[in-house]
Formats: sequence, structure tokens, C-alpha cells
Amino acid sequence: MVKVYSQNYAYDYPFATVTLAYFLRYPNPYSRHVLSTDVLDRTFDPATQRLYTTRLHLKRSRLPAAVVKLLPRSLLGASANGDSQAYILERSVVDVREGWMATESRNLELTTVLDVIERQTYKRPLEAKGNFGDEGTEVATTVTLHSRLGQRFRRARESAAEAPQGNFLARWSQASLQSTIESIGLNRASKSQPNAMEGMKIVMERLRHGGMVAVLEGMRKDREAS
Amino acid sequence: MSASLAPECNESKERYDTCFLRWYSDKFLRGSAQTNDCDSLFRTYSACLTRALKDRGIDNMVQEARNEAQETDAEHLVKGRIPPS
Repeated sequence: MVKVYSQNYAYDYPFATVTLAYFLRYPNPYSRHVLSTDVLDRTFDPATQRLYTTRLHLKRSRLPAAVVKLLPRSLLGASANGDSQAYILERSVVDVREGWMATESRNLELTTVLDVIERQTYKRPLEAKGNFGDEGTEVATTVTLHSRLGQRFRRARESAAEAPQGNFLARWSQASLQSTIESIGLNRASKSQPNAMEGMKIVMERLRHGGMVAVLEGMRKDREAS
Repeated sequence: MSASLAPECNESKERYDTCFLRWYSDKFLRGSAQTNDCDSLFRTYSACLTRALKDRGIDNMVQEARNEAQETDAEHLVKGRIPPS
């Protein structure tokens, strides 16, 4: 079973600004839970004019409290009480020639409990004259939530086809628990997505009014405030 | 600028980030980039970060997640979403 959140939106900023804001979005006033951002890899392909980036974010809060209550302590680890830290792997591709950016973020830990993959596609509209035009930027977001709690796998994402262990009743209650956890994740995604967009808008507003200097100054203040 | 997970890497990260942002806005976004100008600054930062991930015992977890992400790219290639890296 999988639950999916999806949304389409249009930013009132040029494609160039939106992609820059994507790389610059932390820290912002809506991202107090983001503790750090590191670049693991960055590759530029001059032939296609594409830029590939892999980043690692560290965020506060691992699981929603309601999920923590459903889980055995052994799964959470000794120190975890739901108010812990979570690593997020983010990958992105920007194609500056064709005018699109594709992004993907996923959690690194507890993927059996709840695997969350967020994917976004940013596009400059067909009628746009270039990356700096004022036609705005379209963004499509999907968040896929998948719980495999109770299923035994060698590797978390390996084979969803494997049948769960146990009798019918055990399978049924396991499926019901997975569905509950996915619903809680879905609810959280639908609350956090608007905040993520507001954060992007603040960074883009700073870019519009003061350029990079204003962004960096704003970041310094956000960092001090968090 | 966003902080590194390792305070000891903040300085080299900031130097790299500053270079990258300039390259990204002045060259890449204008379609005039020929090379990634910040490679040597990235190598310095990356060496620090690689050590930090190892010290914290998360280097394997990160590598596994990266491999896994690459594997699932196949699905999205079919749907035409994320091109191969």
C-alpha cells in the first residue's frame, strides 16, 4: 500500500530565481527544523548544460508523535522518542537549456516504518522567453508514503512483492497499522508542504529586492534566530 | 549560508558555497558555463565532509541510500521524470 500527496502550483518568479532559491532555501523562517545542509556531490555536464546535485540535510524530529506511540521501543532505538534527528538525501537535476529542474528527497533512516519520497518538477512555461522572463515557474509536487512495518526484508526497499509473515489476522492487522502510519505521514505532508513553499517565497523575495547580498544577510539572521 | 553538519567543515563549505552561487547565477543560469569553476574548493570541502561522515559512523548509511536512489531511478526513467545522472 502506498499513499500519495500531490499538488501543482505556480511561483510568480522566473525559473532562474526559483532554482537559485531551491539551493538557497535553508535557512529561512519556515525552516527552523533544518539543522544543516551539505553537498555530497555536484556534477556539471557542459554538453547538455545539466547540473546534478546530491545534498544531505539534517532535520529535527524523526517521526510524528502519533507514529511513535504505535511503534515498539526496540525499533526506535535507545535515545529516540520521536523528537530526534533525521537525515534526508536530496538529489536534483537542473537543465538550464530546456528550462526544467527535477528534485527528489527521501529519508535515510526508518524507511521500513515510513518511507517518504518527495519529488518535484519545476518548469518554465512553454511561452517563457528564457530563464529570466517574468512568466513564472510551474511546480508539480508528489509525496509518496510507504510503510513496510512488520515486513521482514534484507533491505528496506528491496521487494514489496514478498508476502508478509503470519496468518490472515496478523497480515490484516499489519496492513492496518501500515495504513495508519501512512495516513499520519500524509497528514503531515499536507501541512508541511505549504510551509516549504512559503520558505521558498521568502528567499525569492529577498533575491528580487536585494539580490544575493540580501539573501545572505537574511540567512545570517535566520541562523542566529534558530 | 546553511551550516554543515560538521562545524569543522563550515569554513571550507562557506568558501565553496560562495564560489558555487556566483558560478551558478553568473554563468550556469545564463547558459555560458564551460566548466565547473569551483571544483578545487569543492574537493577541499568534500574531503572534510567525507571524514566527518566517517567519524559520525553514517558514511555507509549515506552511500547505501545513494545507491538505492540510483536504482529506483529506473522507474522514473520509464515515466520520463528524472534523467540519468
